[in-house]
Amino acid sequence: MAHTPGSKQVENDIRNTYQWLEDRLPILSFINNSVGSNFMAPRNLNYMWNFGSLAGIALVLQILTGIFLAMHYKPDVAMAFDSIQHIMRDVNWGWLIRNMHMVGASFFFIVVYIHMARGLYYGSYKSPREVLWGIGVIIFLLMMATGFLGYVLPWGQMSYWGATVITNLLSVIPFIGQDIVVWLWGGYSVGDPTLNRFFVLHFVLPFVIVGIVILHIWALHEHGSNNPKGVDLKTKGDYIPFHPYYTIKDVFGLGVYLIPFTFMVFYAPEYLGHTDNNIPADPLVTPAHIVPEWYFLPFYAILRAIPIKELGVLAMFGAIAILLVLPWLDKHPVRSARFRPLYRPLYVLFLMNFVLLGWCGMMPPEGIYVLIAQAATAFYFGFFALLPILSKFEKAKPVPTSI
Amino acid sequence: MKQSVLALTLLAFTLVATPFAAEGVKVEKQEWSFQGLRGSYDKDQLLRGYTVFTNVCMACHSAKYVSHRDMMRAGFTEAEVQALAKNLNMNIDQKLLTAQDNQTAVETFGKIPPDLSLMTKARAGLADYTYALLTGYSEDPELIAHTFPKGLPAGAHYNKYFPGHAIAMPNPLTGPDMVTYHDQTPASVEQMAKDVTLFMQWAAEPERIERQHMGLYVILYLVIFTLLAYLTKRVIWKDVKGH
Repeated sequence: MAHTPGSKQVENDIRNTYQWLEDRLPILSFINNSVGSNFMAPRNLNYMWNFGSLAGIALVLQILTGIFLAMHYKPDVAMAFDSIQHIMRDVNWGWLIRNMHMVGASFFFIVVYIHMARGLYYGSYKSPREVLWGIGVIIFLLMMATGFLGYVLPWGQMSYWGATVITNLLSVIPFIGQDIVVWLWGGYSVGDPTLNRFFVLHFVLPFVIVGIVILHIWALHEHGSNNPKGVDLKTKGDYIPFHPYYTIKDVFGLGVYLIPFTFMVFYAPEYLGHTDNNIPADPLVTPAHIVPEWYFLPFYAILRAIPIKELGVLAMFGAIAILLVLPWLDKHPVRSARFRPLYRPLYVLFLMNFVLLGWCGMMPPEGIYVLIAQAATAFYFGFFALLPILSKFEKAKPVPTSI
Repeated sequence: MKQSVLALTLLAFTLVATPFAAEGVKVEKQEWSFQGLRGSYDKDQLLRGYTVFTNVCMACHSAKYVSHRDMMRAGFTEAEVQALAKNLNMNIDQKLLTAQDNQTAVETFGKIPPDLSLMTKARAGLADYTYALLTGYSEDPELIAHTFPKGLPAGAHYNKYFPGHAIAMPNPLTGPDMVTYHDQTPASVEQMAKDVTLFMQWAAEPERIERQHMGLYVILYLVIFTLLAYLTKRVIWKDVKGH
């Protein structure tokens, strides 16, 4: 930015408001360049590309509803459960705000899972978008942390026991694991200090996510969106301005999203939750099955599939961390799965296997379920192990030179 | 991509449809007035349930989040709830707390009876489970001997639907006509169980009717909004190559 101060012609008539502001803080043109008519996008993006902006809207909705909930919630083991009932019964529209927040968390994860699956199918993680993809994986990790922390706050049975199980995972760290867990809890079990700090972290992390989302969008703008054909665009005619074309498409997509979302908020707000969380936390009574929220189930299944606890924890975190190196595992020159006769069916199997893992996660860890989970875990990692081989030997179908 | 999304959705639904790991016995589904898009809490049934709750359940259980004033949300007038509260020597803002103290409860039943404000949504099977439990007691010696060859644990009672079948709570609805209903409905055990379950469902979700009625309008609005957005999108995109 080599601006010489004072060297520019400056608009001094405030009645010409746009230019007046533009000459002092060019924020409007910045918005226009980022998500307006000055940001050029491929003209052939399909509806799978709606989920990025949808995820952004879901994040904003979570923050807004969360702020209003925080005004009435009390992070104290003696009051937390009661304060949720206070929100549900006494606070004006409290039930609506809380239902939106609960359902919103689930829908946020649905949107992000689809967004990631889109990237995986069309090769959006490949050069030059490795950093864009990596930042996305970090956002996903932070979302999982935030979701977990938030689920603890109502201080029901599943909150308490979920928190106990998940925090205990860190005890596998050699030598200092146990000390780390005590430090995290602020005591010798999950208790009042834990709840209090989880509330603080649950409040802060979403704003960290916003910051990293800005980096995500920044990285996106460096090379622009990938597209269904996965080819680099060459001519100006291949692009259309983001506004109005994709803004209106995103508004339509938002409407389609909000209909099932609203249905859940008004008719089945607790369908995706667990009945045990309507029982106040009781350290003396362990629930029959401790199940995390549905969006953790595939990873929970990987954790339990491996009988050695240390390896299970490693595999669970590894299942997410491996996404960070995906651009270097899959070095096939063709991006889109449309033109990859082997990767395409493998991808479909991978997604089905992921759903299967989720199913294993909600079943008890015994008998046949463990075997299925082990096979599915092997396939999960097998998929990534096959990618370098495919990169070398897979013959792609003819790829068009332009869209 | 489209086919795989479809296949995936189907797979996910099939898996979700398989019930969670069975805890206890499968519970029979009941018809409830509060279900469905236009569901409501039937006022007479709610009052019958209230009668059972205050005369039977409240001997040992509380509903600590619920007061008489809350019943005004279900269509009762202030005069009506005043009269109901007065019968129990309560004011309308007092919560429905049992007179039994914890020590007596522990001495009699071995544990403190749980609060019932959220009971219908705190157990798998929801309201259907509450109804099944209330009508699921049995003293059939053969049935008990089959499950408990060495006899029931001390102080426990046999219930077909309770996980493990040995419940600390004695059968609360031992026979018909334990209460007299305001509308002369015959108070059979099934009727009382059904009515009190409805009352507990209302206690757990007093906002339910408001949200169900409101949801329909919100969805209707969104359908129109989405349709207009789609038409606008088509107009804006009509000149784009390939569309």
